Amino acid sequence: MTLPARLLRHEVLPFLGSFVALALVSLALDGLLHLLDLLWIGRWLGIPGTLLILGSTAYSLRKRKLIRSGHPATLLRWHEVLAWLGSLLVLVHAGVHFNAILGWLAVWAMLINVGSGLTGKFLLDRSRRRLEEARQRMRERGLSDAELDERLYWDSLTFDVVKKWRVVHFPITLAFTVLALAHIVAIFLFWGWK
Amino acid sequence: MKKPPILMIVIALNLLVLVALVFAYPHLMVSPGPLVKGHAELATDCFACHAAWRGASSGRCAECHAIADVGLKTTKGVPIATGTIKGSFHQQLIEQDCMACHSDHQGPKLTKRSRKPFSHELLKVPVRDTCASCHAAPKDTVHRGLKVECSKCHESQAWKPAHFDHALLAQAELDRCESCHNAPTDRLHRQIQGSCKTCHKTEAWKPATFDHNKYFVLDRDHEATCDTCHKNNDYSRYTCYGCHEHSQAKVRAEHVEEGIQNFENCVECHRDPRVEPEKKGGGRERGGRERD
Repeated sequence: MTLPARLLRHEVLPFLGSFVALALVSLALDGLLHLLDLLWIGRWLGIPGTLLILGSTAYSLRKRKLIRSGHPATLLRWHEVLAWLGSLLVLVHAGVHFNAILGWLAVWAMLINVGSGLTGKFLLDRSRRRLEEARQRMRERGLSDAELDERLYWDSLTFDVVKKWRVVHFPITLAFTVLALAHIVAIFLFWGWK
Repeated sequence: MKKPPILMIVIALNLLVLVALVFAYPHLMVSPGPLVKGHAELATDCFACHAAWRGASSGRCAECHAIADVGLKTTKGVPIATGTIKGSFHQQLIEQDCMACHSDHQGPKLTKRSRKPFSHELLKVPVRDTCASCHAAPKDTVHRGLKVECSKCHESQAWKPAHFDHALLAQAELDRCESCHNAPTDRLHRQIQGSCKTCHKTEAWKPATFDHNKYFVLDRDHEATCDTCHKNNDYSRYTCYGCHEHSQAKVRAEHVEEGIQNFENCVECHRDPRVEPEKKGGGRERGGRERD
């Protein structure tokens, strides 16, 4: 059975790896700032982090035809890289341990957002590929469409669930945007920038 | 794909509730940490200290805490009974920048404390140079007679470690070590009377200059009290006739038999009781060392 091994190597591990790497690298950077007594750097990292995440939305705008330039595939790659890096900086920024609930909510929304994005990237692609491969194999064996649907009922259901998860990527992004914006406005409103 | 409106509505409602909570409970939702105890009543009134878009400012602090009264009177104008040192310095700072030391939100436990420690560098130079304007001099024997500034011995960061220089003392004081120091109570020092300066320097107790082995090795047969050899605490003299092993008659007989006539200054030949002497007597007595 090579399929589970392939599945693990090509989909599950990259998915978990991206998430675990995000957690480990941010913990390491946070620990380093604490160790070197450079917490003030962490306080400012929210700004470049936010800018990177904003930069990553070029793909989302292109996808919704709000901008016309840029190759979607290239923009998607940038979307993934910039959003991951931006999230890393924001996590380190959150790691200086302020107590405001609003900031923490924004961070959790961001993490769920990253999770939903990675789900779309790895799991949905894989589900679609596997479903198509299964359909193809069964068509070759001469099964009718009705039988096809019968046989692939559970696979289709799983695919739909994963697809729905990807659909929530946008509402979660909206929630994250509002919470982050509220946090940023609060900072601008109360901080003396010293 | 069409977005499910129910999900959007639920999320939008949640967000609205959260934004409403920000206004209702800013001390939980926005504040970076609880306020100090004295400001607890301002917890939900962010703009008592913060100006919108400009942050907190010393001017806002001074609206309640008049600089002239800090440490002397409460914000209600009631005099502070116990004289605090805070009263001495807040009026004497080189600049009135409250935020340089005070962050009213207590720092989270995992980060550095938000209140910076006091630094003498913040004081106006004349005040900084006159320790007595804030500090009372200690009344102990070391400090009582001193007329010099504390900074001669003490740093401004901490009282200890201090670097005391004996040259600051008057000669009479300098000659009486025991007026400041307790003599050590070990077996050797218990028996010694007289000035510590015979063996010790004022820079440091150690190294001491005295090394008994230079004169005579105290092996296990010679672990006697000092006054067995040094009578009346006179360490410039010694005698070997203080113990029953060495009587004058026995020593004389032993040495005459060897043809040694001059045997009065024992350590001239006998430096180390474990080693046979190389000299055959006749050595001159060394300056300042006589036999009893």
